[in-house]
Amino acid sequence: MAAESKLAPIRKGLLEFLVLKIVGAESVYVPDILRRLDGTEFNTQEGTLYPLLSKLRREDLVHYEWKESEAGPPRKYYRLTDSGRAQLTALDEYWNLINRTIADIGH
Amino acid sequence: MQRLSTTVRLNRSVLQFDDAASARLETYLAESASLLEGDPDPQEILCDLEQAVADQCARRLQPNQAVVTLAELEPALAEIGSVQVPGASPSAESAKSSAPRPLQQVSEAALISGVCAGLGRYFGFNVTALRVFAVLLLLLSGGGVILVYFTLMLLMPFAPLPSGGKPLAWLPGKCRTFMEYLRTKFHLAAG
Repeated sequence: MAAESKLAPIRKGLLEFLVLKIVGAESVYVPDILRRLDGTEFNTQEGTLYPLLSKLRREDLVHYEWKESEAGPPRKYYRLTDSGRAQLTALDEYWNLINRTIADIGH
Repeated sequence: MQRLSTTVRLNRSVLQFDDAASARLETYLAESASLLEGDPDPQEILCDLEQAVADQCARRLQPNQAVVTLAELEPALAEIGSVQVPGASPSAESAKSSAPRPLQQVSEAALISGVCAGLGRYFGFNVTALRVFAVLLLLLSGGGVILVYFTLMLLMPFAPLPSGGKPLAWLPGKCRTFMEYLRTKFHLAAG
């Protein structure tokens, strides 16, 4: 599909938004995030997610805490910080605005 | 004959790898490290990746199997995927650092009002060195520096506060409010 090359960067740009949404809904560790995105257009891999989460942590949007697991080593559970929550709200509003513009224009 | 294996420590897990698998793992981690060149903290991401490899391989081991081979490692690496550096951040950061910075007081980095922090940022001086120098001048000039500092406080505009930042410390907050009050009262253009 010719449009695919134009859709890929859109998905890539929105991945950060979706990760913020998932982390915003509940405290999660990386396999939870992968499972949540699995089967959607935003299906992704650990190789993509860890660098992204590291960037979000550096920007003080998410933080993590270690939690013991029943099997294996402790896991990193991610949560939104206050500024992460503020950014998620702003992104949500902006996304709705864009959606309305796209729906309205050309009518 | 039993094939020799290597003990591999992956972040918080320890696993046995056969020669081929440990060589493949080394290549993968070296590739990841080189892809992360320029990332501010590659170490954290590499630790997370190592843990992901360990978890994925451990999950694929048969109940009576002790040594990870390529049969477990290859699908594990395929599922993890190669490192993708988030695209937007490097260009945004370079744009930020190359943009000229105006001469402004920086309240969030201030001890008093942010004059030294602002001068340091504008001229690229070490702020601590600048503050020590200012205190030395204060001692030598017998107080003249206070007048200079106050003039700069009044005239240097305040840098906009970062969105979602922490609240200002008491003194920088008061200085900022007081200077803004003085500026409106005396109709000073700065700010």
